[in-house]
Amino acid sequence: MNAPTFMARHDADPTRSPPDGRVRVSASSKSELRSGNDALAMAHRRVIAVAALFALCFSVIGGRLVDLAASKPEASTRTADYWPAVVRARADITDRNGVVLATDLSVASLFAEPRLVQDPARSAAALAAALPNLPVAELRSKLESGRTFVWLKRHLTPKEQAEVNRLGLPGIGFQQEQRRMYPVGALTAHVVGFSDVDNKGIAGVEQFFDNALRAFPQSGLGAPLKLSLDTRVQYTVREELLRAMVDFNAKGAAGLVMDAHTGELIALVSVPDFDPNRVGEAPADARFNRATLGVFEPGSTMKVMTVAMALDYGTARLDERFDATKPLRISRFTIHDDHAKNRWLTVPEVFVYSSNIGAARMAMEVGGERQRGFLAKLGMLERPPIELPEAGAPLVPEVWRDINTMTIAFGHGIAMSPLQYAAGFAAVVNGGFKVAPTLLAGGRPGAKERVVSQDTSDIMRRLLRLNVEEGTGKQADSLGYLVGGKTGTAEKTVAGGYKKNALVSSFAAAFPMNDPRYVVFVMLDEPTGTASTQGFATGGWTAAPIVSRIVGRAGPMLGVVPVDDKSTEVRRALFVALDGRRSPSAAF
Amino acid sequence: MSLSDTGLRLTKVELGFGQKIASLNWGLILLLTGTTGFGLLVLYSLAGGITDTWVEKQAVRFALGFSAMIIIALIDIRIWLNLAYVAYGVALALLVGVDVAGYASMGAQRWIDIGIISLQPSELMKVSLVLALARYFHEHTLEEAQSLKWLFVPVVMILAPAALVLVQPDLGTATLLLMCGATLCFLAGVRIWVFGVAFAAAAAMVPLGWQFLHDYQKNRILTFLDPERDPLGAGYHILQSKIALGAGGIFGRGFREGTQSHLSFLPEMQTDFIFTTLAEEFGMVGALCLLGLYVCILAYGMAIALRSRNHFGRLVAMGIGTTFFCYVFINIAMVTGLLPVVGVPLPLISYGGTAMVTLMAGFGLVISVYIHRDIRIPRRPGGPVS
Repeated sequence: MNAPTFMARHDADPTRSPPDGRVRVSASSKSELRSGNDALAMAHRRVIAVAALFALCFSVIGGRLVDLAASKPEASTRTADYWPAVVRARADITDRNGVVLATDLSVASLFAEPRLVQDPARSAAALAAALPNLPVAELRSKLESGRTFVWLKRHLTPKEQAEVNRLGLPGIGFQQEQRRMYPVGALTAHVVGFSDVDNKGIAGVEQFFDNALRAFPQSGLGAPLKLSLDTRVQYTVREELLRAMVDFNAKGAAGLVMDAHTGELIALVSVPDFDPNRVGEAPADARFNRATLGVFEPGSTMKVMTVAMALDYGTARLDERFDATKPLRISRFTIHDDHAKNRWLTVPEVFVYSSNIGAARMAMEVGGERQRGFLAKLGMLERPPIELPEAGAPLVPEVWRDINTMTIAFGHGIAMSPLQYAAGFAAVVNGGFKVAPTLLAGGRPGAKERVVSQDTSDIMRRLLRLNVEEGTGKQADSLGYLVGGKTGTAEKTVAGGYKKNALVSSFAAAFPMNDPRYVVFVMLDEPTGTASTQGFATGGWTAAPIVSRIVGRAGPMLGVVPVDDKSTEVRRALFVALDGRRSPSAAF
Repeated sequence: MSLSDTGLRLTKVELGFGQKIASLNWGLILLLTGTTGFGLLVLYSLAGGITDTWVEKQAVRFALGFSAMIIIALIDIRIWLNLAYVAYGVALALLVGVDVAGYASMGAQRWIDIGIISLQPSELMKVSLVLALARYFHEHTLEEAQSLKWLFVPVVMILAPAALVLVQPDLGTATLLLMCGATLCFLAGVRIWVFGVAFAAAAAMVPLGWQFLHDYQKNRILTFLDPERDPLGAGYHILQSKIALGAGGIFGRGFREGTQSHLSFLPEMQTDFIFTTLAEEFGMVGALCLLGLYVCILAYGMAIALRSRNHFGRLVAMGIGTTFFCYVFINIAMVTGLLPVVGVPLPLISYGGTAMVTLMAGFGLVISVYIHRDIRIPRRPGGPVS
């Protein structure tokens, strides 16, 4: 078949129709044919006209697309460029990829110079008609106040501004002001914080870097403050935490992803959270940052430090055994095991079975003074150096007695924020270098400070991986990402005692465990067990699956290449048997 | 062209089934399939590299639409001519039906559930209005089309469904029906000044019509005029999509690399606002390529219209082409902030079945016009061919 041609017109031209009798052209049909011919010519002209109109419309939208794309030569998402910002009051804040987290919007505010107002009563009535939210009495008293300057309304909408402008009242004027906007809303609320109506940072990074943020634009640089966050990972963590919060009916949750070497926080989330654009509507609980300001007893996750400490000081060898045959009594306290084996346990067994008795004995062999020194080296005994005003200092015993040494060994009698714990955890698994958590992209400058030996760090990696392969952390695994980690479940303290049913369940993890790049920490505040967790609300049942999902989703975003966890290299790097052997070949 | 050849063409144009299959317009079919493929790619990216969220369902819908298109294409154009008024009548009755049902349920009601599938009468109306108007103008001479007396019926034919759709409320479809109807009248030869008067009358109606708009519709229009009016509320769509479009730059962030759309900053990202994802990931170049595909599809439609020897076919091809154009133009203009936000999907790309099936059925008619392009159809049954 032929492709369509545009030469159909002459076919229907009656002057060319064959007068050969096959078509009988009557008088009436002649006029019909002429009409048909005109109609055809007309139709063709008009098809072309419509086509031209379509082409014009397409040119317009094509031009618009080019315009939108070309107006951003770089892959920039700077919201502020769409607003006619004259002068910025504060520099933008972006994530590590340049996604805008906070920016300025130019808006008008309405003021009066009451001494210049001619007819306060009439002016107040006119203004009240234009701005229905303002009570006329209040306006009138302001206009009659006789002061030199008074604000009538801050941050008008353009429509309100136009309405007031049209009134043409003397003594009434507009001041262009900057209003802070947070385009990603609640996503980074606890990190970025917010500023007040006068553009003064009053929470989060906005407050911590208030001076710098205000200095930048006036110097004309306007360079954005680049945070270490990655919005994509932040979104993932927040979504998983929100889901878990609903699933387990928890009061709140916190989670973070940290670069294990530089301490850069890739994600830092505390839920419930709030929309920083509408701070006034947020309840106090939503404004509380559980990830950095809230301090909690870490529980069993603290055994990571205890075992690392014992190995590092050489008071315990991997195949050494500790007596966990019966509960340990000290003065008026008794230390129990949750998963009691009632026998002597090797170091890997103490770790994987999460033996409180074993951990306490291990800590006692090290001694309280050295334990305190070790935790201080990891940065766990003082306020963490994070760029947030909302950084909670740890709760540490003033006098470090034996009972403190023992309970701290399994994470009780000491409390710290998830952020602070994660930084210490990172130092244990990253090869042994101290980590100072930071929210700035690029991390902190400064020399590396060794706090744990390379060998200790290597053993800890194996033990953490073993715990996910065989122990309480099974649900944290994410295929190919070699997750290693430790569960933690602590009862909340209330006025000197513990609340039996109010748990803080957590999971501390790193991946890939053969050479950890990222630390992931998740904490749930008072989760309750569900049918799917067989009623358990402990870290292994609630927090571990969240870690698994975060790693599975964020791993590809962070460019971590999945590996075959059964491969020889991986086995060689991560193998450890419960009896303490580190070489897989010796097993056969 | 020889005389006998012309004579042959006048009489012997009935086609066998095999000939019809052979004369399917494969170029157009390829373009439609390719464009849909592009859409599936974007949906795949949006779902985070998973096919069972949207891609599979959308592919199934395309397959359904594709089958419908082929079947419709193979049916003789004269049968469609005969069915035109019936289809229009059924669609109109269904529209009245949903409006009454919607009134009863105090909300937007656009669907009629008939067992296995739910049908949106306004979609059926999009195609049947084209058919009915094409038949009307086919059956009237140019002189008649140019006189006001004969214009009454088509105007009612356009305004009745447009009004019914508007109260649903579905501003997008109402606009689409009006634009499509007006274009068909224009093609049929209605005098230009009539459009001037109609436009002026419509403009005069605006203040009156404003009263009848729902608050959310008013809000959208005000926001369109000034998106910064409420950057967190109604202006949010437009601002975020502008950000996404700007973020894509010339070559885009790369397949599956978009942040604005993947992080759910954009609402309705897989349906009406999918163009922003596409533009963010494939950049200006990708967006213009899609525009190019649309232009090619439209060019095919118009070439077929010009090539058709019967007035009915010409009007049907142009009518469907216009509907398609309206979809594309309204959607992209809306996303790029040139038009207010109205719910119109991006044809063949947006996730959703109704628009896909409507358009594929419409293109079935266009291909039917192409296959039967040489058939002369008398103005009235039994009358002389024109």
